[in-house]
Amino acid sequence: MGSLIDQLQYVFAPQIVNGLSIGVAVILMALGLTIIFGLLDVINMAHGEFYALGAYLSVSLMAAGLSFWLCLVVVPLLMLPAGYVVERFLIQRVFARKDRHVLTLLLTFGLGLVLEDAYGVIFGPNTVRADTPIGGAADVFGITFPNYRLFVMLVGTAIIAAVWIVVFRTGIGAMVRAAAFDREMASSLGVRVKRVYSATFAFGIALAGLAGVLLAPIYSVFPTMGKDFILLAFTVVIVGGMGSIKGAVIAGIALMEIQAIASLYISPVWTEPLLFGVMVLTLMWRPQGLFGKLGNA
Amino acid sequence: MREPGAVAAVVRRSEQSGDHALTGFALAFVALGILFAAIAGWRGDVFFFRLATEALIFGGLAISVDLLLGYTGMLSLGQALFFGLGAYVSALVLKDLAPSFWLAMGVTLVVGTVIGFVAAVISIRARGVYFALITFGLAQVVAKVVFNTPRLGASDGIIGIPVISIDLLAFHVDAANAGAFFLFCLGFIMALYFLCAYLSHTPAGRALAAIRSNENRMPFLGYPVGRIKVLVFVLAADVAAVSGALYPMLRGFVSPELLYFEVSGNAVITVVIGGMGTLIGPLYGSVLIVGLKSMIGSYTEHHLIVIGILFMLSVMYFPQGLIGYLKPKLTRRLAVRHAHMQP
Repeated sequence: MGSLIDQLQYVFAPQIVNGLSIGVAVILMALGLTIIFGLLDVINMAHGEFYALGAYLSVSLMAAGLSFWLCLVVVPLLMLPAGYVVERFLIQRVFARKDRHVLTLLLTFGLGLVLEDAYGVIFGPNTVRADTPIGGAADVFGITFPNYRLFVMLVGTAIIAAVWIVVFRTGIGAMVRAAAFDREMASSLGVRVKRVYSATFAFGIALAGLAGVLLAPIYSVFPTMGKDFILLAFTVVIVGGMGSIKGAVIAGIALMEIQAIASLYISPVWTEPLLFGVMVLTLMWRPQGLFGKLGNA
Repeated sequence: MREPGAVAAVVRRSEQSGDHALTGFALAFVALGILFAAIAGWRGDVFFFRLATEALIFGGLAISVDLLLGYTGMLSLGQALFFGLGAYVSALVLKDLAPSFWLAMGVTLVVGTVIGFVAAVISIRARGVYFALITFGLAQVVAKVVFNTPRLGASDGIIGIPVISIDLLAFHVDAANAGAFFLFCLGFIMALYFLCAYLSHTPAGRALAAIRSNENRMPFLGYPVGRIKVLVFVLAADVAAVSGALYPMLRGFVSPELLYFEVSGNAVITVVIGGMGTLIGPLYGSVLIVGLKSMIGSYTEHHLIVIGILFMLSVMYFPQGLIGYLKPKLTRRLAVRHAHMQP
């Protein structure tokens, strides 16, 4: 009996908390993806590269003397105009065409290639590591956790809650949901749909940047870091239902917990195929994912 | 007023002119290939022969992407899975079983069909962007597994694949001879092209185009949409696999990079720049992209910036691609000539 409690306390609990902290970060990425898809029907293949941009910006700004706390605010603000420009000058250009699903996907895919290569040119191909802004570890229920991971979980949860409130409890959120539900109707009721589109896209990009700032001290920063992370985010978004905020949160936690627990038993190499298998099974059971699209639920 | 039959005849004739235009581009491609071989052979070149052969091999992969994207509207972001699979199977057969071209191709075809079928069952139910993301994930997962499997050489891949001599009944093609192997690959890939072009004119091929324009209506007309999609998916997988099987014969090694997203993405870029839905466009596109990469590569290793920007511009301003742009011009010409011949 005692060994079972030990097992729970020292083996499972830390893994569960690890899963939670990665889950929160993945959800931040997935939220941006899913909101952009829910509203604009755009699969942002460059989302991972914007996450990398956030990480690179924070590393550079911190090297220039800014504090981490300032970066946490400044970087997302810097990402907003970047997102706006991408939406305004790339997405909108092909938005009127019939096959815009594929075209926007291809366009953002090309953008991702360019950005990824540009990071290599600007920041060099080598891995950079950001200093952990909060050192030390805390004892929670007798288990030791790095303080920074706890911090990421807290901040991430707060942001997720804030997004939730903005989308579902404010006038701005109502406009976004209305535009997602019926573009023409919303626009005839006075919603400036184009502006909502740009703003939402920029917001999604800023979320990816924020995830980059938060995760830079935990993971390394390198040009292709976005590629490695984006598949996780896509898996979460697909399982949760493309365009569903609730789905992204639930699937994010569930999948990352599955990964964390499974990695106790199987080699880490196989956790990714495992998550992918879960995704495929979910799709066979519910092709549209677990929850409905933004504006419909 | 024209009778319905007359309208149908006009439509058919213009369609035929369009097909003739594509066949014209295909024959021009062969002619250009032979012209290139003559010049390069005369100058005793090896580098450009190898490069052109690579363009053909990746062109085969691009054809398989176009089969899905251009004909059926299914965007595969993981076609490198089958390309790399073919390369690995061929490498293993050549190295461990026997250095025989036909054995390698046969085994690749069988494995490609089986894995293609499994992947089809997994991905075919998903539509549109879901399909794109599933194929993307499928390839990514397999690449990761291969990368971590020591039996397959892990991150190093498989090296030391024997140089083969291809038995063509009447004569032999030595893969070590750059010019001969290039001509062989030209014939091989063009055979793949003509096979795909022929299949696109069979009733099943027509059904594909119909699925592209309205997938929901097809079942009402009695077409088994799912089965047709599985069929074309497996065909595309096989085309990618046998193209990939040529790779170790050219380079003498395979590495996990062949399975990476960069290869899949490159194939999509090639198709878009060459012309979606034309099948021959991807081959022209592949020559353009491989040539451009090699050209930029002599200045900088960051060719993705240039190719990426070119690709984005192409998607925004030139979505029909090279052959898609040229095809109506040649079609009109052919139609005019046709009308003159049959007054």
